[in-house]
Amino acid sequence: MENNMPLTEALYYILLSVRRPNHGYGIIQEIESITNSRVVLGAGTLYGAINSMLTRGWIRLYSEDKASRKKKEYLITDTGKEIFQKEVDRLSELLHNAKLMEETI
Amino acid sequence: MTIFKLYFDKDAEEAWINDMSQKGWAFEKFFLGFYTFVPCKPGEYLYQIDLLESWAGDRDYFSNFMEELNIQVVSQWYRWVYLRKKASEGAFEMYTDPESKIRQYRRLMHFYIAGALLETWCLWLEFTAAIKLMAPTYWLFTLLVALMLLVFLRMIVKCNRKIQQLKNFPSR
Repeated sequence: MENNMPLTEALYYILLSVRRPNHGYGIIQEIESITNSRVVLGAGTLYGAINSMLTRGWIRLYSEDKASRKKKEYLITDTGKEIFQKEVDRLSELLHNAKLMEETI
Repeated sequence: MTIFKLYFDKDAEEAWINDMSQKGWAFEKFFLGFYTFVPCKPGEYLYQIDLLESWAGDRDYFSNFMEELNIQVVSQWYRWVYLRKKASEGAFEMYTDPESKIRQYRRLMHFYIAGALLETWCLWLEFTAAIKLMAPTYWLFTLLVALMLLVFLRMIVKCNRKIQQLKNFPSR
C-alpha cells in the first residue's frame, strides 16, 4: 500500500541526491541547486525523511568516521532505487497522458 | 538576564524568543520557566523550537545531525529542544513541507493529550480530596489543575486545527 503512494517531493529529491554518497548539507544544497531554489529542505524535514528512509531500507549509512569527525554520508539501496523507478514510471505516465490535453474536440 | 515566563504554545514561545533576538538578546537556556538571555547583535540569531520523538535515544543523534547543518541545539528540556542558526546564513525553518509540518503538529498534539490525561487524573484526585476534606487549599488546587487542563485542551484544539489547515491547504 505504502509503496504505491506517490513520493513526496522531499523523498523524491533526497533519493535522487543520494545516488552517490552524500551528507545532509550536501543533500540540501544539491536539491536547492537543481530546483533553482524552488525546493529548499528544512533541517527537521530532512531529519525526519532520512530516518524514515533508513528504517524502511531505502537508503543506508555509507560512512561514519567518528575519529576524524567526518560527516555522515548516505547512499541509496536497491530497494530505494526500485521505489524511485516506480515513481519515475508514474510521473512518465502523467506526462505522457498530459499530451491528451492538446487534442482538439 | 533571566526572565520567568510560562508558555504552553510553542509557536508563541518561538515568536517571543525570536523577537528578543531582534532586540539584541540571544536566548541561551531554559529551565522550569526561566529563560536566560545574553546580549547579541540585534537579529544575530534565528530560533526554532522542536519536540523530539523520544527523549533518550534521539538526543545526541539529533544534535549531531543539526550541527552538521550549522544549527546549534542551544538548550534542551525533556523532549523540547531550542535550536538556533546565524541569521547571516539565511532563513531558518525546521519544517518546509506540509507532510513534515503535519507530523510535527501531531507530535505536539500527542504531547498535549498526554498532559491533558495527566491533568484529568490530578483533577479527579484533587476534587475528591476537596469534597472529603472541604479545605479551601484543596479547592484552590482543584481550580488550578482545572485551569491547566483547559490550557492543554485549548492546545489540542489548536494543533488539530493546524493539521486540518495543512491538509486542506497544503501550500500554506
